[in-house]
Amino acid sequence: MMHFRNLKIEQIKTTWFKKSISILFVCIVFQNCAPTRFVKPLAKKENAIAANLGGPLIHFGKAVTPIPFTSIMYGRGLTNSTTAFGSVHLTALLFGNIQTDLGVCQQLYKNDSLKFGITINPAINMVYDKWNKNFRAWPQLDANVYKDILKQKAFVYVGLTNWFEFSSTRAHGEPQTNHALINPHVGMSYNTKKWGYTFECKFLQMNKKNVPNVVDYVGINQHGAVGVYLNFVRRF
Amino acid sequence: MKIIGIFIIALVLLSSCLRLDDNLYNVTDKIKEYKLDNYTGENDFVLDNSYFIHDSLIHLFDLSSRTPSESSSTTIKAIYIGSLSKIKTDTVIMYCHGNKWHMDFYWQRAKLLAHTAGKNHYGVLMIDYRGYGLSDGKATEEGLYADVDAALQWLKLNGLSDQRLVMYGFSMGTAPVCELTNKPISMTPAKFILEAPFASADVMANDGSGLNMPGSFFTNLKIDNAEEVKTISQPFCWIHGTNDNFLNIKTHGEVVYKNYNGSYKEAHRVDGADHGEIPLKMGFDNYLNTLSTFIRK
Repeated sequence: MMHFRNLKIEQIKTTWFKKSISILFVCIVFQNCAPTRFVKPLAKKENAIAANLGGPLIHFGKAVTPIPFTSIMYGRGLTNSTTAFGSVHLTALLFGNIQTDLGVCQQLYKNDSLKFGITINPAINMVYDKWNKNFRAWPQLDANVYKDILKQKAFVYVGLTNWFEFSSTRAHGEPQTNHALINPHVGMSYNTKKWGYTFECKFLQMNKKNVPNVVDYVGINQHGAVGVYLNFVRRF
Repeated sequence: MKIIGIFIIALVLLSSCLRLDDNLYNVTDKIKEYKLDNYTGENDFVLDNSYFIHDSLIHLFDLSSRTPSESSSTTIKAIYIGSLSKIKTDTVIMYCHGNKWHMDFYWQRAKLLAHTAGKNHYGVLMIDYRGYGLSDGKATEEGLYADVDAALQWLKLNGLSDQRLVMYGFSMGTAPVCELTNKPISMTPAKFILEAPFASADVMANDGSGLNMPGSFFTNLKIDNAEEVKTISQPFCWIHGTNDNFLNIKTHGEVVYKNYNGSYKEAHRVDGADHGEIPLKMGFDNYLNTLSTFIRK
Protein backbone atom coordinates (compact mmCIF):
# COMPACT_ATOMS: atom_id res chain seq x y z
CA MET A 1 0.00 0.00 0.00
CA MET A 2 1.43 3.35 -1.00
CA HIS A 3 1.38 6.28 1.37
CA PHE A 4 1.14 9.78 0.01
CA ARG A 5 1.98 12.04 2.88
CA ASN A 6 3.74 15.40 3.04
CA LEU A 7 2.66 16.28 -0.43
CA LYS A 8 3.98 19.41 -2.02
CA ILE A 9 1.04 20.91 -3.75
CA GLU A 10 1.07 23.80 -6.12
CA GLN A 11 -2.38 25.08 -6.68
CA ILE A 12 -3.05 27.70 -9.25
CA LYS A 13 -6.58 28.80 -8.66
CA THR A 14 -8.47 29.05 -11.87
CA THR A 15 -11.75 30.68 -12.57
CA TRP A 16 -11.31 30.66 -16.31
CA PHE A 17 -13.22 27.46 -16.67
CA LYS A 18 -16.25 28.98 -15.08
CA LYS A 19 -16.00 32.26 -16.91
CA SER A 20 -15.56 30.70 -20.31
CA ILE A 21 -18.73 28.72 -20.06
CA SER A 22 -20.56 31.59 -18.41
CA ILE A 23 -20.86 32.99 -21.91
CA LEU A 24 -23.06 30.04 -22.69
CA PHE A 25 -25.85 31.18 -20.49
CA VAL A 26 -25.51 34.92 -20.37
CA CYS A 27 -28.74 35.26 -22.26
CA ILE A 28 -30.90 33.26 -19.96
CA VAL A 29 -32.35 36.18 -18.15
CA PHE A 30 -35.12 37.09 -20.52
CA GLN A 31 -37.07 38.77 -17.79
CA ASN A 32 -34.29 41.29 -17.44
CA CYS A 33 -34.13 42.34 -21.03
CA ALA A 34 -36.21 45.50 -21.07
CA PRO A 35 -36.89 48.62 -19.03
CA THR A 36 -40.35 49.62 -17.85
CA ARG A 37 -42.44 50.01 -20.97
CA PHE A 38 -44.40 53.10 -19.96
CA VAL A 39 -43.98 55.12 -16.78
CA LYS A 40 -46.48 57.71 -17.92
CA PRO A 41 -49.38 56.84 -20.21
CA LEU A 42 -49.68 58.37 -23.66
CA ALA A 43 -52.45 60.78 -24.50
CA LYS A 44 -55.60 59.30 -25.99
CA LYS A 45 -54.97 58.07 -29.59
CA GLU A 46 -51.31 58.97 -29.34
CA ASN A 47 -48.92 56.33 -30.68
CA ALA A 48 -45.34 55.51 -29.80
CA ILE A 49 -42.66 53.18 -30.99
CA ALA A 50 -39.61 52.48 -28.88
CA ALA A 51 -36.33 50.62 -29.02
CA ASN A 52 -34.26 49.74 -26.02
CA LEU A 53 -30.85 48.32 -25.35
CA GLY A 54 -29.34 47.02 -22.14
CA GLY A 55 -29.43 44.30 -19.57
CA PRO A 56 -27.83 42.97 -16.42
CA LEU A 57 -24.20 43.79 -15.81
CA ILE A 58 -21.82 40.87 -15.84
CA HIS A 59 -18.12 40.43 -15.20
CA PHE A 60 -16.58 39.51 -18.53
CA GLY A 61 -12.86 38.91 -18.13
CA LYS A 62 -11.65 41.95 -16.22
CA ALA A 63 -14.38 44.18 -17.57
CA VAL A 64 -17.94 44.83 -16.50
CA THR A 65 -20.44 44.98 -19.33
CA PRO A 66 -24.23 44.85 -19.72
CA ILE A 67 -25.69 41.92 -21.61
CA PRO A 68 -26.95 43.68 -24.75
CA PHE A 69 -30.60 42.77 -24.86
CA THR A 70 -32.69 44.65 -27.38
CA SER A 71 -36.38 44.90 -28.01
CA ILE A 72 -38.81 47.07 -29.91
CA MET A 73 -42.22 48.16 -28.73
CA TYR A 74 -45.39 49.77 -29.95
CA GLY A 75 -47.83 51.57 -27.68
CA ARG A 76 -51.11 53.41 -28.17
CA GLY A 77 -53.08 55.59 -25.83
CA LEU A 78 -56.51 54.06 -25.37
CA THR A 79 -57.55 56.87 -23.05
CA ASN A 80 -55.58 59.63 -21.39
CA SER A 81 -54.87 57.31 -18.48
CA THR A 82 -54.57 53.91 -20.21
CA THR A 83 -51.97 52.90 -22.78
CA ALA A 84 -51.75 49.48 -24.39
CA PHE A 85 -48.42 48.12 -25.57
CA GLY A 86 -46.82 45.14 -27.20
CA SER A 87 -43.21 44.30 -27.91
CA VAL A 88 -40.88 41.98 -29.77
CA HIS A 89 -37.63 40.91 -28.14
CA LEU A 90 -34.95 40.92 -30.81
CA THR A 91 -32.26 39.13 -28.83
CA ALA A 92 -34.63 36.26 -28.16
CA LEU A 93 -35.48 36.21 -31.86
CA LEU A 94 -31.80 35.64 -32.68
CA PHE A 95 -32.07 32.39 -30.73
CA GLY A 96 -35.14 31.27 -32.59
CA ASN A 97 -37.46 32.26 -29.75
CA ILE A 98 -40.45 34.45 -30.28
CA GLN A 99 -40.86 36.57 -27.18
CA THR A 100 -43.36 39.30 -26.62
CA ASP A 101 -44.82 41.17 -23.72
CA LEU A 102 -48.34 42.53 -23.97
CA GLY A 103 -49.84 44.83 -21.39
CA VAL A 104 -51.22 48.18 -20.41
CA CYS A 105 -49.97 51.20 -18.51
CA GLN A 106 -52.65 52.46 -16.16
CA GLN A 107 -52.51 55.80 -14.37
CA LEU A 108 -53.65 55.19 -10.79
CA TYR A 109 -53.03 58.61 -9.31
CA LYS A 110 -51.93 61.98 -10.57
CA ASN A 111 -51.29 65.18 -8.66
CA ASP A 112 -50.91 68.12 -11.03
CA SER A 113 -49.91 70.63 -8.39
CA LEU A 114 -47.17 68.43 -6.92
CA LYS A 115 -46.34 67.11 -10.41
CA PHE A 116 -46.16 63.45 -9.54
CA GLY A 117 -48.15 60.35 -10.26
CA ILE A 118 -48.45 56.61 -9.78
CA THR A 119 -48.85 54.08 -12.58
CA ILE A 120 -48.91 50.32 -12.94
CA ASN A 121 -48.08 48.12 -15.93
CA PRO A 122 -49.73 44.70 -15.78
CA ALA A 123 -48.41 42.56 -18.64
CA ILE A 124 -47.94 39.03 -19.80
CA ASN A 125 -44.59 37.82 -21.12
CA MET A 126 -44.72 34.97 -23.58
CA VAL A 127 -41.88 32.99 -25.16
CA TYR A 128 -42.15 30.28 -27.79
CA ASP A 129 -39.14 28.42 -29.11
CA LYS A 130 -39.29 27.12 -32.63
CA TRP A 131 -36.84 24.30 -31.89
CA ASN A 132 -38.72 22.25 -29.33
CA LYS A 133 -42.04 24.07 -29.50
CA ASN A 134 -41.73 24.97 -25.83
CA PHE A 135 -44.00 27.76 -24.67
CA ARG A 136 -43.83 29.68 -21.43
CA ALA A 137 -45.79 32.66 -20.11
CA TRP A 138 -45.04 34.76 -17.06
CA PRO A 139 -47.24 37.54 -15.67
CA GLN A 140 -45.49 40.80 -14.91
CA LEU A 141 -46.56 43.78 -12.85
CA ASP A 142 -44.60 47.02 -12.85
CA ALA A 143 -45.46 49.83 -10.46
CA ASN A 144 -43.95 53.30 -10.70
CA VAL A 145 -44.00 56.62 -8.91
CA TYR A 146 -42.78 59.53 -11.02
CA LYS A 147 -42.02 63.15 -10.41
CA ASP A 148 -41.87 65.77 -13.16
CA ILE A 149 -38.77 67.95 -13.26
CA LEU A 150 -37.23 70.54 -15.60
CA LYS A 151 -40.57 72.19 -16.35
CA GLN A 152 -42.09 68.82 -17.27
CA LYS A 153 -39.46 68.18 -19.96
CA ALA A 154 -38.19 65.34 -17.87
CA PHE A 155 -39.24 63.12 -15.03
CA VAL A 156 -37.55 60.82 -12.56
CA TYR A 157 -39.14 57.66 -11.29
CA VAL A 158 -38.76 54.77 -8.90
CA GLY A 159 -40.63 51.52 -9.07
CA LEU A 160 -40.75 47.76 -8.97
CA THR A 161 -40.71 45.29 -11.83
CA ASN A 162 -42.22 42.03 -10.66
CA TRP A 163 -42.24 38.74 -12.51
CA PHE A 164 -44.29 35.82 -11.26
CA GLU A 165 -43.61 32.12 -11.72
CA PHE A 166 -46.76 30.09 -11.14
CA SER A 167 -45.20 26.73 -11.88
CA SER A 168 -44.79 24.64 -8.74
CA THR A 169 -41.93 22.65 -10.24
CA ARG A 170 -38.75 23.35 -12.13
CA ALA A 171 -36.55 21.06 -14.22
CA HIS A 172 -36.75 17.34 -13.36
CA GLY A 173 -39.78 17.85 -11.14
CA GLU A 174 -37.83 19.66 -8.45
CA PRO A 175 -39.85 22.18 -6.42
CA GLN A 176 -39.89 25.75 -7.67
CA THR A 177 -39.32 27.75 -4.52
CA ASN A 178 -39.04 31.17 -6.11
CA HIS A 179 -42.39 32.49 -7.29
CA ALA A 180 -41.84 36.24 -7.39
CA LEU A 181 -38.89 38.00 -8.91
CA ILE A 182 -38.87 41.50 -7.52
CA ASN A 183 -36.75 44.05 -9.32
CA PRO A 184 -36.62 47.62 -7.97
CA HIS A 185 -35.56 50.28 -10.41
CA VAL A 186 -34.88 53.99 -10.73
CA GLY A 187 -34.82 55.99 -13.92
CA MET A 188 -34.87 59.32 -15.62
CA SER A 189 -36.61 60.27 -18.82
CA TYR A 190 -36.04 63.36 -20.94
CA ASN A 191 -38.67 64.25 -23.52
CA THR A 192 -38.93 66.58 -26.45
CA LYS A 193 -42.13 67.06 -28.40
CA LYS A 194 -41.65 63.89 -30.43
CA TRP A 195 -38.80 62.02 -28.80
CA GLY A 196 -38.14 60.51 -25.39
CA TYR A 197 -34.84 59.27 -23.97
CA THR A 198 -34.78 57.16 -20.85
CA PHE A 199 -32.04 55.75 -18.70
CA GLU A 200 -33.07 53.11 -16.20
CA CYS A 201 -31.13 51.17 -13.62
CA LYS A 202 -32.62 48.01 -12.11
CA PHE A 203 -31.62 45.77 -9.27
CA LEU A 204 -32.64 42.47 -10.80
CA GLN A 205 -33.75 39.42 -8.83
CA MET A 206 -32.82 41.07 -5.56
CA ASN A 207 -34.38 38.20 -3.59
CA LYS A 208 -32.15 35.61 -5.24
CA LYS A 209 -28.56 34.77 -4.35
CA ASN A 210 -26.31 35.17 -7.36
CA VAL A 211 -23.68 32.68 -6.22
CA PRO A 212 -23.24 29.98 -7.15
CA ASN A 213 -24.45 30.70 -10.64
CA VAL A 214 -23.30 30.13 -14.16
CA VAL A 215 -23.27 33.83 -14.88
CA ASP A 216 -20.94 36.24 -13.10
CA TYR A 217 -23.51 38.93 -12.40
CA VAL A 218 -22.59 42.25 -10.85
CA GLY A 219 -24.89 42.17 -7.86
CA ILE A 220 -25.17 43.68 -4.42
CA ASN A 221 -24.12 41.65 -1.41
CA GLN A 222 -24.10 38.47 -3.54
CA HIS A 223 -27.72 38.95 -4.51
CA GLY A 224 -29.32 39.71 -7.86
CA ALA A 225 -27.73 41.71 -10.64
CA VAL A 226 -27.54 45.39 -11.50
CA GLY A 227 -28.96 46.16 -14.93
CA VAL A 228 -28.72 49.31 -17.02
CA TYR A 229 -30.99 50.21 -19.95
CA LEU A 230 -31.39 52.90 -22.56
CA ASN A 231 -34.76 53.46 -24.15
CA PHE A 232 -35.57 55.63 -27.17
CA VAL A 233 -39.18 56.54 -27.91
CA ARG A 234 -40.72 58.27 -30.91
CA ARG A 235 -44.26 59.53 -30.43
CA PHE A 236 -46.66 60.31 -33.23
CA MET B 1 -56.41 39.35 -38.00
CA LYS B 2 -54.60 39.61 -41.32
CA ILE B 3 -52.07 42.02 -39.87
CA ILE B 4 -51.51 39.74 -36.88
CA GLY B 5 -51.01 36.78 -39.22
CA ILE B 6 -48.46 38.67 -41.33
CA PHE B 7 -46.71 39.79 -38.15
CA ILE B 8 -46.41 36.22 -36.85
CA ILE B 9 -45.11 34.91 -40.19
CA ALA B 10 -42.57 37.75 -40.31
CA LEU B 11 -41.37 36.85 -36.82
CA VAL B 12 -40.87 33.23 -37.72
CA LEU B 13 -39.00 34.18 -40.90
CA LEU B 14 -36.85 36.70 -39.10
CA SER B 15 -35.98 34.39 -36.25
CA SER B 16 -32.46 33.17 -36.70
CA CYS B 17 -30.60 30.07 -35.69
CA LEU B 18 -28.20 31.40 -33.09
CA ARG B 19 -27.62 28.62 -30.57
CA LEU B 20 -25.17 28.39 -27.72
CA ASP B 21 -24.27 24.72 -28.19
CA ASP B 22 -20.71 25.35 -29.36
CA ASN B 23 -19.92 27.47 -26.32
CA LEU B 24 -19.99 24.35 -24.20
CA TYR B 25 -16.74 23.25 -25.76
CA ASN B 26 -13.82 25.29 -24.54
CA VAL B 27 -11.06 24.50 -27.01
CA THR B 28 -9.39 27.89 -27.07
CA ASP B 29 -5.94 26.82 -25.86
CA LYS B 30 -4.15 25.45 -28.91
CA ILE B 31 -1.15 23.16 -28.45
CA LYS B 32 1.39 21.66 -30.85
CA GLU B 33 2.36 18.70 -28.71
CA TYR B 34 1.39 17.04 -25.44
CA LYS B 35 3.83 17.98 -22.69
CA LEU B 36 2.21 16.14 -19.77
CA ASP B 37 4.62 16.55 -16.81
CA ASN B 38 6.41 19.38 -18.64
CA TYR B 39 3.19 21.30 -19.19
CA THR B 40 3.53 24.67 -17.49
CA GLY B 41 0.16 26.17 -18.36
CA GLU B 42 -2.75 26.72 -16.04
CA ASN B 43 -3.62 23.79 -13.79
CA ASP B 44 -5.96 23.06 -10.91
CA PHE B 45 -3.12 21.41 -9.03
CA VAL B 46 0.31 19.94 -9.69
CA LEU B 47 1.35 16.66 -8.09
CA ASP B 48 4.76 16.22 -6.53
CA ASN B 49 7.40 13.70 -7.57
CA SER B 50 5.93 10.89 -5.52
CA TYR B 51 3.28 10.65 -8.22
CA PHE B 52 5.82 10.23 -10.99
CA ILE B 53 4.79 7.74 -13.66
CA HIS B 54 7.56 6.09 -15.62
CA ASP B 55 7.59 6.83 -19.34
CA SER B 56 7.23 3.14 -20.13
CA LEU B 57 3.78 3.23 -18.56
CA ILE B 58 2.55 6.24 -20.51
CA HIS B 59 1.19 5.44 -23.97
CA LEU B 60 0.07 8.18 -26.32
CA PHE B 61 -1.74 6.92 -29.41
CA ASP B 62 -4.41 7.64 -32.02
CA LEU B 63 -7.93 6.30 -32.18
CA SER B 64 -10.45 6.44 -35.00
CA SER B 65 -13.90 7.61 -34.08
CA ARG B 66 -17.03 7.84 -36.15
CA THR B 67 -20.47 9.06 -35.19
CA PRO B 68 -23.54 7.29 -36.61
CA SER B 69 -24.17 10.21 -38.97
CA GLU B 70 -20.60 10.44 -40.32
CA SER B 71 -19.28 8.72 -43.42
CA SER B 72 -15.62 8.98 -42.45
CA SER B 73 -13.68 8.62 -39.22
CA THR B 74 -12.07 11.31 -37.10
CA THR B 75 -8.65 10.78 -35.54
CA ILE B 76 -8.53 11.50 -31.84
CA LYS B 77 -5.68 11.32 -29.33
CA ALA B 78 -5.62 9.04 -26.32
CA ILE B 79 -3.30 8.37 -23.39
CA TYR B 80 -3.21 5.10 -21.53
CA ILE B 81 -1.43 5.04 -18.17
CA GLY B 82 -0.36 1.56 -17.18
CA SER B 83 0.95 -1.63 -18.70
CA LEU B 84 -0.82 -2.48 -21.95
CA SER B 85 -0.27 -6.18 -21.37
CA LYS B 86 -2.21 -6.00 -18.09
CA ILE B 87 -5.42 -4.68 -19.64
CA LYS B 88 -6.46 -8.32 -20.00
CA THR B 89 -6.43 -8.69 -16.22
CA ASP B 90 -6.49 -5.20 -14.66
CA THR B 91 -9.35 -2.96 -13.75
CA VAL B 92 -9.29 0.14 -15.97
CA ILE B 93 -10.68 3.58 -15.25
CA MET B 94 -12.00 5.32 -18.35
CA TYR B 95 -11.52 8.99 -17.46
CA CYS B 96 -13.74 11.46 -19.33
CA HIS B 97 -12.39 14.94 -18.81
CA GLY B 98 -14.23 18.24 -18.59
CA ASN B 99 -14.89 20.87 -21.22
CA LYS B 100 -11.59 22.67 -21.03
CA TRP B 101 -8.69 22.67 -23.48
CA HIS B 102 -6.83 19.34 -23.64
CA MET B 103 -5.29 16.37 -21.89
CA ASP B 104 -2.29 18.42 -20.72
CA PHE B 105 -4.67 20.35 -18.47
CA TYR B 106 -6.14 17.11 -17.12
CA TRP B 107 -2.87 15.20 -16.98
CA GLN B 108 -2.44 15.74 -13.23
CA ARG B 109 -5.93 14.38 -12.61
CA ALA B 110 -5.34 11.31 -14.76
CA LYS B 111 -1.98 10.73 -13.09
CA LEU B 112 -3.63 10.99 -9.69
CA LEU B 113 -6.23 8.41 -10.75
CA ALA B 114 -3.38 6.11 -11.77
CA HIS B 115 -2.54 5.98 -8.05
CA THR B 116 -5.94 4.64 -7.01
CA ALA B 117 -5.28 1.68 -4.69
CA GLY B 118 -1.56 2.18 -5.27
CA LYS B 119 0.74 3.34 -8.04
CA ASN B 120 -0.43 1.91 -11.37
CA HIS B 121 -2.67 -0.55 -9.63
CA TYR B 122 -5.42 0.28 -12.13
CA GLY B 123 -4.98 1.38 -15.71
CA VAL B 124 -6.31 4.79 -16.72
CA LEU B 125 -7.43 5.76 -20.21
CA MET B 126 -8.06 9.38 -21.15
CA ILE B 127 -8.86 10.88 -24.56
CA ASP B 128 -9.09 14.30 -26.08
CA TYR B 129 -12.54 14.49 -27.63
CA ARG B 130 -12.65 15.65 -31.24
CA GLY B 131 -11.70 19.33 -31.47
CA TYR B 132 -9.81 19.16 -28.18
CA GLY B 133 -6.00 19.22 -27.89
CA LEU B 134 -4.45 17.49 -30.90
CA SER B 135 -7.53 15.52 -31.82
CA ASP B 136 -8.97 16.29 -35.25
CA GLY B 137 -12.48 17.47 -35.98
CA LYS B 138 -14.97 19.74 -34.30
CA ALA B 139 -16.47 19.13 -30.88
CA THR B 140 -20.10 18.04 -30.89
CA GLU B 141 -22.34 16.23 -28.45
CA GLU B 142 -22.67 13.25 -30.79
CA GLY B 143 -18.88 13.29 -31.19
CA LEU B 144 -18.36 13.15 -27.42
CA TYR B 145 -20.21 9.87 -27.20
CA ALA B 146 -18.61 8.40 -30.33
CA ASP B 147 -15.11 9.34 -29.15
CA VAL B 148 -15.52 7.77 -25.71
CA ASP B 149 -17.00 4.70 -27.31
CA ALA B 150 -13.99 4.51 -29.65
CA ALA B 151 -11.81 4.44 -26.51
CA LEU B 152 -13.95 1.65 -25.05
CA GLN B 153 -13.63 -0.31 -28.28
CA TRP B 154 -9.85 -0.02 -27.97
CA LEU B 155 -9.98 -1.30 -24.38
CA LYS B 156 -12.17 -4.20 -25.42
CA LEU B 157 -9.81 -5.03 -28.26
CA ASN B 158 -6.98 -5.12 -25.74
CA GLY B 159 -8.79 -7.60 -23.56
CA LEU B 160 -10.78 -5.56 -21.05
CA SER B 161 -14.03 -7.13 -19.87
CA ASP B 162 -17.13 -5.22 -18.79
CA GLN B 163 -16.66 -6.39 -15.20
CA ARG B 164 -13.33 -4.56 -14.97
CA LEU B 165 -14.38 -1.28 -16.55
CA VAL B 166 -15.05 1.75 -14.34
CA MET B 167 -16.22 4.95 -16.01
CA TYR B 168 -15.21 8.24 -14.39
CA GLY B 169 -16.63 11.57 -15.60
CA PHE B 170 -15.72 15.05 -14.50
CA SER B 171 -18.09 17.95 -15.25
CA MET B 172 -18.89 17.82 -19.00
CA GLY B 173 -17.28 14.37 -19.03
CA THR B 174 -20.18 13.10 -16.95
CA ALA B 175 -22.34 13.34 -20.11
CA PRO B 176 -20.60 10.54 -22.08
CA VAL B 177 -20.34 8.49 -18.88
CA CYS B 178 -24.08 8.65 -18.25
CA GLU B 179 -24.94 8.21 -21.92
CA LEU B 180 -22.71 5.19 -22.47
CA THR B 181 -23.56 3.60 -19.13
CA ASN B 182 -27.26 4.01 -19.81
CA LYS B 183 -27.08 3.06 -23.47
CA PRO B 184 -23.90 1.01 -23.84
CA ILE B 185 -22.47 0.53 -27.31
CA SER B 186 -19.15 -1.28 -27.17
CA MET B 187 -18.81 -1.97 -23.46
CA THR B 188 -20.98 -1.86 -20.34
CA PRO B 189 -19.15 -0.47 -17.33
CA ALA B 190 -19.31 -2.29 -14.01
CA LYS B 191 -19.39 0.94 -12.00
CA PHE B 192 -19.40 4.66 -12.64
CA ILE B 193 -18.16 7.74 -10.83
CA LEU B 194 -19.41 11.27 -11.43
CA GLU B 195 -17.39 14.22 -10.18
CA ALA B 196 -19.28 17.54 -10.22
CA PRO B 197 -21.92 16.33 -12.70
CA PHE B 198 -23.96 18.56 -14.98
CA ALA B 199 -27.70 17.83 -14.56
CA SER B 200 -29.11 19.30 -17.79
CA ALA B 201 -29.42 22.44 -19.88
CA ASP B 202 -32.84 22.95 -18.29
CA VAL B 203 -31.21 23.26 -14.87
CA MET B 204 -28.71 25.72 -16.30
CA ALA B 205 -31.58 27.83 -17.65
CA ASN B 206 -33.58 27.52 -14.42
CA ASP B 207 -30.62 28.55 -12.30
CA GLY B 208 -29.76 31.51 -14.47
CA SER B 209 -33.28 32.87 -14.81
CA GLY B 210 -34.87 31.92 -11.51
CA LEU B 211 -37.84 30.76 -13.59
CA ASN B 212 -38.97 27.41 -14.92
CA MET B 213 -37.37 28.24 -18.26
CA PRO B 214 -36.45 25.39 -20.62
CA GLY B 215 -32.88 25.03 -21.85
CA SER B 216 -34.23 24.73 -25.38
CA PHE B 217 -34.63 28.52 -25.43
CA PHE B 218 -30.84 28.68 -25.85
CA THR B 219 -29.34 25.37 -26.81
CA ASN B 220 -30.05 22.19 -28.70
CA LEU B 221 -27.78 20.15 -26.42
CA LYS B 222 -29.52 16.98 -25.33
CA ILE B 223 -27.23 16.28 -22.38
CA ASP B 224 -29.59 15.25 -19.61
CA ASN B 225 -27.72 13.33 -16.93
CA ALA B 226 -30.52 13.88 -14.42
CA GLU B 227 -32.92 11.83 -16.56
CA GLU B 228 -30.35 9.44 -17.99
CA VAL B 229 -29.21 8.32 -14.54
CA LYS B 230 -32.73 7.14 -13.67
CA THR B 231 -32.34 4.01 -15.74
CA ILE B 232 -28.76 3.13 -14.82
CA SER B 233 -28.39 0.21 -12.45
CA GLN B 234 -24.61 -0.07 -11.95
CA PRO B 235 -23.10 1.09 -8.62
CA PHE B 236 -22.64 4.85 -8.54
CA CYS B 237 -20.23 7.11 -6.68
CA TRP B 238 -21.01 10.83 -6.67
CA ILE B 239 -18.51 13.50 -5.59
CA HIS B 240 -19.37 17.20 -5.57
CA GLY B 241 -17.96 20.35 -3.96
CA THR B 242 -20.34 22.20 -1.66
CA ASN B 243 -19.03 25.49 -3.01
CA ASP B 244 -19.25 24.63 -6.69
CA ASN B 245 -19.74 27.99 -8.36
CA PHE B 246 -20.21 26.51 -11.79
CA LEU B 247 -22.44 23.48 -11.32
CA ASN B 248 -24.38 24.08 -8.13
CA ILE B 249 -24.32 21.02 -5.88
CA LYS B 250 -27.97 21.45 -4.97
CA THR B 251 -29.48 22.04 -8.40
CA HIS B 252 -27.15 19.80 -10.42
CA GLY B 253 -25.37 17.18 -8.29
CA GLU B 254 -28.07 16.44 -5.73
CA VAL B 255 -30.68 16.00 -8.46
CA VAL B 256 -28.51 13.53 -10.37
CA TYR B 257 -27.78 11.64 -7.15
CA LYS B 258 -31.43 11.60 -6.08
CA ASN B 259 -32.64 10.42 -9.49
CA TYR B 260 -30.38 7.38 -9.48
CA ASN B 261 -32.40 4.27 -8.60
CA GLY B 262 -29.81 1.58 -9.20
CA SER B 263 -28.20 -1.08 -7.07
CA TYR B 264 -25.85 1.04 -4.95
CA LYS B 265 -24.93 4.68 -4.54
CA GLU B 266 -22.67 6.72 -2.34
CA ALA B 267 -22.29 10.47 -2.00
CA HIS B 268 -19.27 12.57 -1.09
CA ARG B 269 -20.06 16.23 -0.53
CA VAL B 270 -16.72 17.97 -0.27
CA ASP B 271 -16.82 20.90 2.14
CA GLY B 272 -15.80 24.20 0.61
CA ALA B 273 -14.65 22.74 -2.71
CA ASP B 274 -15.30 24.72 -5.88
CA HIS B 275 -15.73 23.09 -9.27
CA GLY B 276 -12.13 22.12 -9.95
CA GLU B 277 -11.01 21.72 -6.36
CA ILE B 278 -12.33 18.34 -5.27
CA PRO B 279 -9.11 16.28 -5.18
CA LEU B 280 -7.29 19.17 -3.54
CA LYS B 281 -9.94 19.92 -0.90
CA MET B 282 -10.54 16.25 -0.13
CA GLY B 283 -6.82 15.66 0.15
CA PHE B 284 -5.24 13.31 -2.36
CA ASP B 285 -5.04 10.41 0.12
CA ASN B 286 -8.67 10.73 1.05
CA TYR B 287 -9.72 11.16 -2.58
CA LEU B 288 -7.84 8.05 -3.69
CA ASN B 289 -9.03 6.01 -0.72
CA THR B 290 -12.62 6.97 -1.49
CA LEU B 291 -12.24 5.81 -5.08
CA SER B 292 -10.43 2.59 -4.29
CA THR B 293 -12.94 1.67 -1.60
CA PHE B 294 -15.78 2.21 -4.05
CA ILE B 295 -14.11 0.30 -6.87
CA ARG B 296 -13.21 -2.64 -4.63
CA LYS B 297 -16.63 -2.82 -2.97
